[in-house]
Amino acid sequence: MRVRKAGGTGPEGTGRAAAERDGRTASSRAPLLEVRDLAVEFRTAEGTVRAVDGLSYRVDAGRTLAVVGESGSGKSVSSLAVMGLLPDGARVSRGQVLLAGEDLLTLSRREHRDRCGDRVAMVFQDALAALNPVHTVGYQLTEALRARRGLSRRDAARRAVELLDLVRVPNARGRVKDHPHQFSGGMRQRVMIAIALAMDPDVLIADEPTTALDVTVQAQVLRLLAEIQAERRMGLVLITHDLGVVAGVADDVTVMYAGRVVERAPVRDTFRAPAHPYTRALLRSIPSAASGGPQGADARRPRLSVIPGRPPSPAALPAGCAFHPRCDLAGDLCRSERPPLTTALTTQPHDDASSYPRASACHFAAEVLASHDVPAAASGRPRPTGRRDARETEEPTDA
Amino acid sequence: MPEPVLEVRQLVRHFPVRRGLLRRTVATVKAVDGVSFTLAAGRTLGLVGESGSGKSTLARMLAGIERPTAGQVLVHGEDVARLSRAGRKRLRRDVQMVFQDPYTSLNPRMSVGEIVGEPFAIHRITPAGGRRAAVGELLELVGLEPGHASRYPHQFSGGQRQRIGIARALALRPGILVCDEPVSALDVSVQGQVVNLLQDLQEELGLSYLFVAHDLGVVRHIAHEVAVMYLGHVVEHGPSGDVYDDARHPYTRALLSAAPVPDPAVRFAPAGDAGRGDGAITLEGEPPSPTNPPAGCVFHTRCPLARALGSEAADGALAGETAVLTGERPGGGHHVPERCARTAPVLEPRAACHFARSVPAAVKVES
Repeated sequence: MRVRKAGGTGPEGTGRAAAERDGRTASSRAPLLEVRDLAVEFRTAEGTVRAVDGLSYRVDAGRTLAVVGESGSGKSVSSLAVMGLLPDGARVSRGQVLLAGEDLLTLSRREHRDRCGDRVAMVFQDALAALNPVHTVGYQLTEALRARRGLSRRDAARRAVELLDLVRVPNARGRVKDHPHQFSGGMRQRVMIAIALAMDPDVLIADEPTTALDVTVQAQVLRLLAEIQAERRMGLVLITHDLGVVAGVADDVTVMYAGRVVERAPVRDTFRAPAHPYTRALLRSIPSAASGGPQGADARRPRLSVIPGRPPSPAALPAGCAFHPRCDLAGDLCRSERPPLTTALTTQPHDDASSYPRASACHFAAEVLASHDVPAAASGRPRPTGRRDARETEEPTDA
Repeated sequence: MPEPVLEVRQLVRHFPVRRGLLRRTVATVKAVDGVSFTLAAGRTLGLVGESGSGKSTLARMLAGIERPTAGQVLVHGEDVARLSRAGRKRLRRDVQMVFQDPYTSLNPRMSVGEIVGEPFAIHRITPAGGRRAAVGELLELVGLEPGHASRYPHQFSGGQRQRIGIARALALRPGILVCDEPVSALDVSVQGQVVNLLQDLQEELGLSYLFVAHDLGVVRHIAHEVAVMYLGHVVEHGPSGDVYDDARHPYTRALLSAAPVPDPAVRFAPAGDAGRGDGAITLEGEPPSPTNPPAGCVFHTRCPLARALGSEAADGALAGETAVLTGERPGGGHHVPERCARTAPVLEPRAACHFARSVPAAVKVES
């Protein structure tokens, strides 16, 4: 069978834009986007809840950073904070968001959004909800260009077709007049990406961009994102819960748990040897499509490796390390003292050595790293887990 | 081979699309279009496919929620359609369903005890020892506490709610559970707990599962056999190890190579890069509409194998095959072998593909 790959080149103009951007980053040498010690609080009926607590990351030109976490880990809220789009009742209580060296959080809300509008764009999970159902996609594609760059209607119309071509929507010229509901899920997500690219951003933040899509369509969209990013040397922040997607596209990874960073590293390091028990357990719990499964007809089949219990509510975080009630390494220290994010981890040097030093927030990070359990092969491991474990550790929400 | 507990013969479900004042039928959605399989006692059949493939409609027909347009569903050899109303109700006790969304499939105004005990009320059964004791036992069976019966669904997490849904499905001691995406709505760290619970229950109670999911990893882990659906048809069906390690249908191949693998060596690379190795296939476009599925093999419009063989046939390089033009738009098509465009392939022995023998040996992704 012949291998088919999405082909084609982008429209003219992207080469120039990429060259300009290279010049810009080379002269300043600052990361495109840097988040430092960000904390976000929500005011609720039960008091103030800290959804994000001390998130730091950086994105460089041409690199992809994955921010990984389960629901409630704070990964989506943090990107809203970066964009200045936090809902009412939420506020940034600490930290900096540096866009090419300028702290966006010191600006007014309006200025913050203006800066982002020019240079940082966002793609959301649910394209149907994010797009306006009463306007054509052509209108939505160029709304920003007309408002901010003062494009004429004719230029805007031409640009809209170029943008749809860029994301490989077939028959772009005919489709700019269509409304969002006339597109399939995958095509809608492409339209969202095209809208995000309209202003030629330096950084693209994609929040679960393929979660709602089927796997074959997901593969197309991820490939498209990788292509566009390589052409334009954009920084890409990919927010996801799917470690398969992370492995497939990201260069660096930041793992969040209960609002905090538990591990950060170049992707290859994390997958080869995770430095936090949570990351390790998460990797082990992924059932593999490449191996495993029922062997003999009647033999007792292997069980999935699981993390007992469930993520804590941000309103009632455990003392010490937030992961300790679910951790197989937890000791007394973990119950009382919160481990700092330590960078003093030695890793094997390799060609992909980035400016992303490894760090882990675990008292036993060195032991975890040294145990070097290859997680990829661990999916079929029989473990004495199951419902009895769950009963011991899972408590009703209000218990 | 153990005795089949469930058998499906040429099952069809078409939905009419009605328009206008007179509600005239203007088109038909062929959601399930001639599916046959058997499910053996104590075994799991995994059903995979993308949205619109008909897998959920099929599951709903088996659970008795949806009536088939044509074809037969046999439970323990009895044709469900031929039974009286009372007979159907009795048979339905033996086939229960676990739903995808643990948030909408439990009534928020009912206590957990009422939810899990409701099947007894519907079927007017008083379990031995009373309903309350039976509910307590069921909750224990799925890893909850009997004391939780007085609580309400909102007091539980997603994983716990799914356990409640499983307890309800088990109340009438069914032999067959139809699970429609039972773990898709759950966080990864909780998914495994529910999958393990289902496996424990299968071994303890000898249950048979029809396990519908889009996550290929979960299905490989739990299923003995796998059926792959595309546009209302089963295109490949076999023991799961065989299907996963040596897929014979080009669509199965494409599906497997599109699944993200937790290994940074396997990348979704831009075009031109080596990327995901020689075995990677990226399908172009999206599945055609089930209102107007392609003639012949339903996959031929997107099939990379048909395309490759079609251009060979067009050059006269493929003995005995003529090529025809195909494509979504008239004029802008490509060549495929005439057989693919004209004749529907049969599922024989494992893959419904005229050229299953031409599918090259599997390229294993090394991890």
